[in-house]
Amino acid sequence: MVTPGAAMLEIRDLVVSYHGSRVLSDVNLRLEYGDSMAIIGESGAGKTTLGLAIMGFSEGTTSGQICWQGRDLLRLPEEDMRSLRGKVVAMVFQNVEDALNPVLNIHDQVKEAMTVHRNGPGHAASARAFGLLEAVGLDHERAKSFPHQLSGGERQRALIAMALANDPDILILDEPTASLDSVTKGDVIEILRAAASDKISLVITHDISTAASLSKKMAVLYAGTIVEMGRTEDLLKNPRHPYTRGLIRSYPNMTTTKDLQGIPGRMDREADGCPFHRRCTQRTDICSRLPPSMQETNGRLIACHRGGIVPLLKLRGITKSFGQREVLSNVSLTVLEGETLAVVGESGCGKTTLARITIGLCDPDRGDVLFEDETLRVRGLEFYRKVQMIYQNPAESLSHRMSVLDLVREPLDVQRLGGRQEREASVRKALDDVELPSDDRFLARYPHQLSGGEAQRVAIARAMVLQPKLLIADEPTSALDASIQAKILRLLQNLQEKRGLSMLFITHDLALARKVSDRIAVLHRGMLVEEGPASQVVSSPAHPYTRCLLEQAARLDATIGSPGVESSAGRGAAAQDRDRWIGAAAVNR
Amino acid sequence: MHVDLLGAVLRDPLGMTGSALLGLVTVMAILAPALSGYPPDLYTGQILSPPSAWHPLGTDSVGQDIWSRLLWGARTSLLVGAAVALISTSISVIIGTTTAIFGGLYERFWMRAVDAMLAIPPIIVMILVAAYLRPNLLVLILLLSALSWPGGARICRAQTLSLLERTHLSAAATFGAGWRHIIRRHILPDLTPIMLALTVGAARRAIFMEAGLSFLGVSDPTMVSWGKIMQQALQFTYLDVWRWWLVPTGLALSLTLVSLSLLGFALEGAMDPRLDGGQRHGDTRSSHA
Repeated sequence: MVTPGAAMLEIRDLVVSYHGSRVLSDVNLRLEYGDSMAIIGESGAGKTTLGLAIMGFSEGTTSGQICWQGRDLLRLPEEDMRSLRGKVVAMVFQNVEDALNPVLNIHDQVKEAMTVHRNGPGHAASARAFGLLEAVGLDHERAKSFPHQLSGGERQRALIAMALANDPDILILDEPTASLDSVTKGDVIEILRAAASDKISLVITHDISTAASLSKKMAVLYAGTIVEMGRTEDLLKNPRHPYTRGLIRSYPNMTTTKDLQGIPGRMDREADGCPFHRRCTQRTDICSRLPPSMQETNGRLIACHRGGIVPLLKLRGITKSFGQREVLSNVSLTVLEGETLAVVGESGCGKTTLARITIGLCDPDRGDVLFEDETLRVRGLEFYRKVQMIYQNPAESLSHRMSVLDLVREPLDVQRLGGRQEREASVRKALDDVELPSDDRFLARYPHQLSGGEAQRVAIARAMVLQPKLLIADEPTSALDASIQAKILRLLQNLQEKRGLSMLFITHDLALARKVSDRIAVLHRGMLVEEGPASQVVSSPAHPYTRCLLEQAARLDATIGSPGVESSAGRGAAAQDRDRWIGAAAVNR
Repeated sequence: MHVDLLGAVLRDPLGMTGSALLGLVTVMAILAPALSGYPPDLYTGQILSPPSAWHPLGTDSVGQDIWSRLLWGARTSLLVGAAVALISTSISVIIGTTTAIFGGLYERFWMRAVDAMLAIPPIIVMILVAAYLRPNLLVLILLLSALSWPGGARICRAQTLSLLERTHLSAAATFGAGWRHIIRRHILPDLTPIMLALTVGAARRAIFMEAGLSFLGVSDPTMVSWGKIMQQALQFTYLDVWRWWLVPTGLALSLTLVSLSLLGFALEGAMDPRLDGGQRHGDTRSSHA
């Protein structure tokens, strides 16, 4: 047995290509004994190719090195590689029908895996095989079964037992839990965790939750390139590469509360520059020209020209008083590119003032607003091309004397963008984007001929016609009924997905905020009392006021006054908190 | 503008009557040379003759054809009315909107000026000034305009102040729009109804004032004016001539004023649906749906 630390698997500049097209390019990994690394990414990212390359099964042309105890596995003759395979490097294959030999029972197959390496006498191997199968939860009787007699979960267990047969140093798990139901998946993960603890393990999966429970480190693979790598926990909680964030957002799970969102576009291996740039919403010129190099910041490796997701808007120490009353005191917030930050609080807590200060309708007494890292003093046409706002009441924010065409075209007129026909084309496109008709009849309508939902969509189309980077939405749906609200929110999310739109979403509704936002900031009497990932704020609120808001949030439980999730003691405490905070607010007024 | 003002006014019986009367007077004024056989100042050779085939309303004390003087008088009245209405409404709108938008000292100055001007009855000032200047048509128009804008300016300011609170103005500002755009696209369209009402009101007052000043004899004596005709006629009320001299002129003046009043009334009704019975409002809506 090798002592921990001494043995190391090191992959240097690994390139694998099939028929001239690169499947993996410049992969660098270092794994020490006891390390568990997950490789996540969409299908076709090159994850399995990486596993096969380590196993020496790669069929394409390879370059670079895969070093194990001073030996380059890529250059090793097939003869030597065969002796290592199974013994030093083992792979749990994806549970597919043909991974097991149909004419041998599984006990014999596990035993065979040992006897090919001539590990001791046959009866010892047989006993060990039974032991291994027992360990993965297959008893004596099951062990004598043929693969077709077993369920999917049992076959997966058998495959694990086979991989563990020779106690390998490196265990590669390729989609070990794919197509298993969640209970079986849990069992299999337990077994794998126990088996991998004293080895180097590499989990290859698109299933982020499996990856999270089986790894300490995580690497995100995109089109054959590692784009982000770091500690699993940090990486999932605070993804820094736009692709990682997209991947997490599109993965259904119980931790995040926001609605699922996809990543626009398709994976493109042939792209020059950064492989992700065509789908990236914060790309600049350099992204399409040069591939980014891996940079390390705070223990996280990111391959991005922009250093990961950029902060778009920063508010620093915003303070504002109207007369004697301080409506905002020392509020600091950051909105990242492509994310939604919800500002939640009761009416009169300064939410709208915050929005108005950000857009420039009102000046703060103290504090700075930074957009794209520049402090804003005078907001010019340039700023308003990138930042737009939608208001609570569409009936008021749309002039009743303008037709839909005039309304949506107005920002283009003000900004003097394009000619008459281009402007009209942009208007039609913006209307299409918000799922409104864009025919001449609709363009000639006036706001009073539109329903509330339609009018708010026109307002959104008007804000989006300039293709802004940041949208400030001040209670955009509070004047609408629930079904229309749902459609409008869906629409905003789609626009975010498509364009990487950042949103500052102002609402009093915590239940709504948790569905639409990545992060939530809670504002109480002009002060920021809590800020964090939406899931965290909702599941474990730190501030009593947040708990109070949470208790007041909409629920569909039939029992009056019982939030269901809290114990009666917790409820009592929450009620006390609420009384205290509501009382304080009342005194303050 | 989505409310069809003209249509609404014409569908209203009062508005219809007003427009018809005003139209009639306008046609008479425009066709004055064709409708009358004589120039208004021509001495016909007959003095105080009763109506005849040649002189439909007879002749006056200096032998001028009363019918032609009546027609040419309509020209003066309408010209003064229209010009004063345009100029004074423009001043009202400019002062009203700019004071509301820019505020500060500028606003205080103009609003105090408005207060002062509203406190003094304009007719007194007008008589005094006119008595010294003996104004010709142009000066009269300018004087009347200068005196009749303050009320409108105050209304425009109030309306603009309320418009400034509307979200669609904030929205325009957040597209990067400057004041010029906001005034042109957001404030003026919403002021249009008020501007129309102001125009009609100013025209009515101007016609009345012009007639009054001429009646008092403080305007340019060479101007043909209904006021002056009536003043001349009044000196001969002991004769029968008042029947075709004073009455038609007074009637013409009254009808013109009434037509403008009716029009103003109808406009107000059309612009503010709340003043309306609802029936007609429904019609205008449905015609656009």
